[in-house]
Amino acid sequence: MREVAVIGVGSTVFGKFPERLLEAMGSEAVWAAINDANISPKEIQFAHCSTLFGGAVCGQRILTEVGISGIEVVNVENACAGGATAFRGVWYAIASGLYDIGLAIGAESMTTSPIAGKLIPPAAGDLAGEMGNSAPAHFALSMRRHMEKYGTTLEQFAGVSVKNHHNGCLNPYSQYKKELSIEEILNSRMICDPITLLQCCPNTDGAAAVILCPMSIARKYTNKPISVAASVLKMGDYVSRWKDLASSDLTVKCTREAYEMAGLGPEDIDVCELHDAFTYSELSHYEELGFCQYGEGGRLIDEGITEIKGRIPVNPSGGLLSRGHPLSATGVEQIAEIVWHLRGEAGKRQVAGAKVGLAHTMGGEVANLEAGSCAIHILKR
Amino acid sequence: MKRERTPLREGLFTEDVEGGALLASRCKSCGQVFFPKRGHCLDCFSQDMEPVILGRTGKLYTFTIVHMPTEHYDPPYCIGWVEFPEGVRVFGQIKGWESQPLKIGMEMKLVIDTLWQEAEKEVIGYKFEPLFQDAET
Repeated sequence: MREVAVIGVGSTVFGKFPERLLEAMGSEAVWAAINDANISPKEIQFAHCSTLFGGAVCGQRILTEVGISGIEVVNVENACAGGATAFRGVWYAIASGLYDIGLAIGAESMTTSPIAGKLIPPAAGDLAGEMGNSAPAHFALSMRRHMEKYGTTLEQFAGVSVKNHHNGCLNPYSQYKKELSIEEILNSRMICDPITLLQCCPNTDGAAAVILCPMSIARKYTNKPISVAASVLKMGDYVSRWKDLASSDLTVKCTREAYEMAGLGPEDIDVCELHDAFTYSELSHYEELGFCQYGEGGRLIDEGITEIKGRIPVNPSGGLLSRGHPLSATGVEQIAEIVWHLRGEAGKRQVAGAKVGLAHTMGGEVANLEAGSCAIHILKR
Repeated sequence: MKRERTPLREGLFTEDVEGGALLASRCKSCGQVFFPKRGHCLDCFSQDMEPVILGRTGKLYTFTIVHMPTEHYDPPYCIGWVEFPEGVRVFGQIKGWESQPLKIGMEMKLVIDTLWQEAEKEVIGYKFEPLFQDAET
């Protein structure tokens, strides 16, 4: 396997843009990545494009707007982990030697999707779904376990949303640029007790794109190539084997494998973008990613350890909670964000001196599984 | 017009004089119990399975009160996981949450109840209800 580098990243501003076509958002992100890599569109040899609600052959529809045709295009769906899956696919095809220059795209228009402003409906045959389960409920059930088992407080969970909304104010790509207080978060509308509205990620439109090539030729395009040190993607295990709903066993499993692949450990991570679909998610992922012991997630918030100036800054972009969550775009956007930090180009939200970054994406609800999938990518300069 | 009582799924639960009970299956090779029933073991892949009926009470593992509408239910309603003595966690709706605060670990009993109603049918399934009285005496 060859070492692969990210040489270009691009993104649209995230937000609610029902008037914007998916093709327009996707091609804007691709153009930004092309300009960033200082590459000709003619050099792109293949692309993996992910969308969940954007319809068939989304990649071709986006590339047509750019002026790219005649190349291999793979369209990828993996729920919220779709973007991370597209990135991994491009990484793998280059690492294996099949291609030299590839493009990963994630694009989603949630405001024009059939579920705009609603919940992702349960799949036919999902017994728990038919009995009233949903994504927020699923996480509320885990959050209550976390509170019971470890004594984590509502204020600690709300602290995740305070931090991420603060970070969002510093990120020009973020959907929300508004500071929130613990009181506002806890007093917002109850969704699934104890999860309130301002502890849930919003509906978001947006697109992101990343260009990769072998490290051996990366310096032809950039003097700051970012190496892909690990890529892991797995489906979840059965609920019957789930040790405790307070934690994601799947994240633990993928993380261990990713650290091993990179030859690094949690102590080496300088910046992390993780899947904070709900405040609970971020707090429990601290533990599963090895940033602290089980049950200590709340302490990391109390001590400011995951703030931009803290020891392990998490979601400097604002995360899903503030930057927003256009499902399939999220995994690609996380990579772009990490790359900006490792290059020292993240502006006001820059994590000083970051050398190694980790991106964590979860995706999909499947009856009888802890989660659909989890992807971990470790990048380094 | 009387609506026809229709179970949410065939083979999920049974109703007898003692009340409701869940229909599970046990792997005769490794002993793992599955609910809902499985034709083969998901752990050791043996196809030698036997039917078992789960105990009618379990312990509340976690719960949430849902404050938004979902396909069949108007808010607020309560859902949760209950852990059965056979080592199986089962998801379901919780009745009786309005009358007294729920606590993780409390004893819950299985009841058969209406889940939702349609024009010509009443869909029935299992729910859980706290054994409040037992806990007090």
